[in-house]
Amino acid sequence: MQALRNIWFLALATCTEGIRHRALWAIVCLAALLTMANLGVTNLYSWDLGKVSVEFGLSAVAFTGLLLVFFLGMKILADDLERSRIFLVLSRPVSIGQYLVGKYLGLGMILLLATIILGLSATLSMRYVLWKYPAYVPPDFSWLVYVMALTCQWLSLMVVLAASVLCFSFASQPFIALLLAVSVYMVGQNMELLRRVVLENPQAGALSGQENLVIALSWIFPNLSFFDKKYAAAYGLAFSGQEFLLLCLYAISYSALLLFFSAILFKRKELA
Amino acid sequence: MTHPAIQITNLDKSFGAGFKKYRALTELSLSIDQGEVFGFLGPNGAGKSTTIKLLLNFLKPDSGSLMVMGHAVGQEEFRQRIGYLSEFPFFYEHLTARETLLLSGRLSGMDRRSIDQRIPMLLARMNLAEATDRRVGGFSKGMKQRLGMANALIHDPEVVIFDEPMSGLDPVGRHQIKRLIAELKQEGKTIFFSSHILSDIEALCDRIGVIHKGVLLYSGGLGEFLAEGNGLEDRFVKLIEEADHASAA
Repeated sequence: MQALRNIWFLALATCTEGIRHRALWAIVCLAALLTMANLGVTNLYSWDLGKVSVEFGLSAVAFTGLLLVFFLGMKILADDLERSRIFLVLSRPVSIGQYLVGKYLGLGMILLLATIILGLSATLSMRYVLWKYPAYVPPDFSWLVYVMALTCQWLSLMVVLAASVLCFSFASQPFIALLLAVSVYMVGQNMELLRRVVLENPQAGALSGQENLVIALSWIFPNLSFFDKKYAAAYGLAFSGQEFLLLCLYAISYSALLLFFSAILFKRKELA
Repeated sequence: MTHPAIQITNLDKSFGAGFKKYRALTELSLSIDQGEVFGFLGPNGAGKSTTIKLLLNFLKPDSGSLMVMGHAVGQEEFRQRIGYLSEFPFFYEHLTARETLLLSGRLSGMDRRSIDQRIPMLLARMNLAEATDRRVGGFSKGMKQRLGMANALIHDPEVVIFDEPMSGLDPVGRHQIKRLIAELKQEGKTIFFSSHILSDIEALCDRIGVIHKGVLLYSGGLGEFLAEGNGLEDRFVKLIEEADHASAA
C-alpha cells in the first residue's frame, strides 16, 4: 500500500513540477498556434479540406507530444541525476522501481493534459473548417473515432516515454539517452512497414531471408504505427472498440515491461 | 541490547576499472553510538562523501558491511530512521518549501496530519516561515541549506547524516546550522556529519574520525585527539602529513 502511495506522491510532484515549467507552456502555446494554423493550411487545398484538417490537427498533437517527451520529460529525468535531486527521493524508503514508475506516471499526466489542451484546440479549428466547408466533411466522420484516435496518440506517447525511461536508466549521459530514445521512436514508427515489406516481398534486398530476425525485432521494438489512427479519423474508416481496447492493453503491457527492465538496469547504476 | 547507531566494518570501495581504477575507501571501520555527535573529518577527496553515499545505499561497496540502527544497508529497509542532508541540496525548483516537505514526509510514510503539524514548526525553526509558500527556485544558498535541514528532519529521524552542512554558507548561516546541530544533540539524536571546517568540528563533536585518501587515520574522542597536538588544525595537518610521508616512503 505504501508503495502505491509513494508512486502517487511522486507522480503528483513530477506533474506539479512539470506544469510549472516554462518549457511546457512554451511548447503548448506553440502547438496551440500550430493547430490554429490548420485554418490557413486547409485553405491551401482545393479538395478534401475536412480530411486535411483532421489529419493536420492530430499530427500537431503528435508532434507536440514528442517534443514534450524528448525535451521536457527527458530533461526532468536527467536533472534528477545531474543535479542530485534523486537523493532527495532515494534517501526516503522509496525503491528505484517506485521512483521510475512515479516519474513515468507524472510525466504521463503532463502529456495527458497537453493532449487534452491541444486536442481541444485542434477540435475548435477543425469544427470551424468543417462548418465553413460542409461539402468537405469526410463521409462517416465521427467525433468518437476522433477522440479514440487522439487517445491512441497519447498511448503512443506513453510507450515512447517508457522507452525513454529505459534509455535513461542505462545510458551514461542524458544526451545518449535522448539519441537512443529518438532512434527507438523512429524504428518503432517504421517497424510494421519493414516487417510487411520483408514478409511479403521475397526480393527485400539485404533483408531477404532474414524474416525471423525482422519478426524478432518487431516484437522487441514498439510497434508505434499501430497507434496511428489519423487516417481512420480523417477518412471515417472503421475503428472498433475491440481494436481500441487491444491497443490500450498493448500500450499498458509494453510500457510495464519497459519500466520493469528500467528498474533492473537502474539498480545497477551507481549514484555517485 | 542497544546496538551502535552506525556500524561500518572493513569497507572497501573503488571506482573505474583497469588502469583507471581508483580506490576511494580502504578497509574502513567505524562505530558510532546512539546519541553521539560524530565528526567525519578529512581533506577534499578523502572519501567522506563516498562513505555517506555508501551508508545511504546510493553506492554499492566492493566489500565490507554497513549497519544503521541494527539494519544491514542494502538488505533491510532503514531509511525511515535516518535524515540526510547532501552537500549541495538540490530541490524541485518549481515546488514550494511546503510542497517539498510534504513530499518528503509522505514518502517517509507520515500521515497528513503529522506533516501539517511539523511543517510550520520546522520552517519556523529554520527561519523560513515567511518563505513557506515560495518556490524553492528563488531561494538563496543559505535558505536551501536550511530547507535541506528541515527536509532531513521532517520525519523526526533517530539518526541524521549531514554531508558538509556548513559549506558555502556565510557566518550567519553557519551559526544557525551549528545552533541547530547543538539542539539536535540536546534532543538525543545521533548526528554523523562530514566537514573540513575544523572549528565546526571542534565546537560540536563528541568523537571524530579522520580520513585521508580513503584510509581512516584516527577514530576516537576529540579530547584525546587534541591532547596530542597544539590545537585541532595543527594536529590534523600533522596527521595528514605523516600519512603522506608514510605512503611516499
